[in-house]
Amino acid sequence: MNTEDLDRILSSDDSLEPSAGFAGAVMGGVRRLAAEPAPLPFPWPRFSLGLVACATMAAAGAALVPRAEPILRAVVAPLAAVGPELGWATLAVIVSVGLARLPGVFARP
Amino acid sequence: MGEACDDDADVARVVGGDLEAFAGIVHRWQRRLVGLAWRFCRDRAAAEDMAQEAFLKAFRSLRAYRGESAFSTWLTAIALNTYRSRLRAEGPALLAIDLLPALAVEPGALRDLQDRERTEAVRRAVLALPPRYRDALVVYYFQERDLKEAAQILGIAEGTLKANLHRGREMLRCRCAEFAPRPGDPVPEGT
Repeated sequence: MNTEDLDRILSSDDSLEPSAGFAGAVMGGVRRLAAEPAPLPFPWPRFSLGLVACATMAAAGAALVPRAEPILRAVVAPLAAVGPELGWATLAVIVSVGLARLPGVFARP
Repeated sequence: MGEACDDDADVARVVGGDLEAFAGIVHRWQRRLVGLAWRFCRDRAAAEDMAQEAFLKAFRSLRAYRGESAFSTWLTAIALNTYRSRLRAEGPALLAIDLLPALAVEPGALRDLQDRERTEAVRRAVLALPPRYRDALVVYYFQERDLKEAAQILGIAEGTLKANLHRGREMLRCRCAEFAPRPGDPVPEGT
């Protein structure tokens, strides 16, 4: 089978007539589609506000934690006396709990 | 020209909120979209289902149509992407490419039947090619060998399309070698 044979076969008319109800079925689908409620828009204002709050909290944390180090050391000193790792682990837990509660504080009316 | 004007007018009306104007688009292009789908699946029900999905996608995207290409090119490209996605999701159609058993007894009828079987077997063999060659061959011949238009619909450069067509034809020729007329076969009329 050469290129001419393939050209002849693939070029020959090979169409299919749509059935009588095809256009009606498509228009039915179009009407259903148009009747569906519009999708909810992405909440950009809330998303932006959340993003700003996250950035602010991260910056505040980075600035405050070093300053609060003496106080934190005093808090964890008794535990650090038992074991330094235990003291730093406790500090990490306290900071995490504090940061996790912070959004709740901001969210209160 | 008139058809393009009708398309632009109907698109404007649909975008303006007149849903029924879409019927004009469906009426003008249904044969083309069903025909293209048919070439990808060789099954009437599946072809109409795929074409319907393509029309609904076009309806959803109508606001995005900027008139940068002809409406027919834009619509055919949407249909092609729909058919490709469907074939990718469902896998290639399982179509027999064996020659049908000879049913006719008259010599002329037998010759016609053999020729039809061979033609159908080649068309089905196209669908078993890797997608890039399958799509190139189907769209190129569907567009009546208009290389530029076919490349636009496929979203590839003309050079890439030429290479895909060449490679696709080579693969098809190897796969269809057994369907070539044998020395004893009658020669089809008009060749």
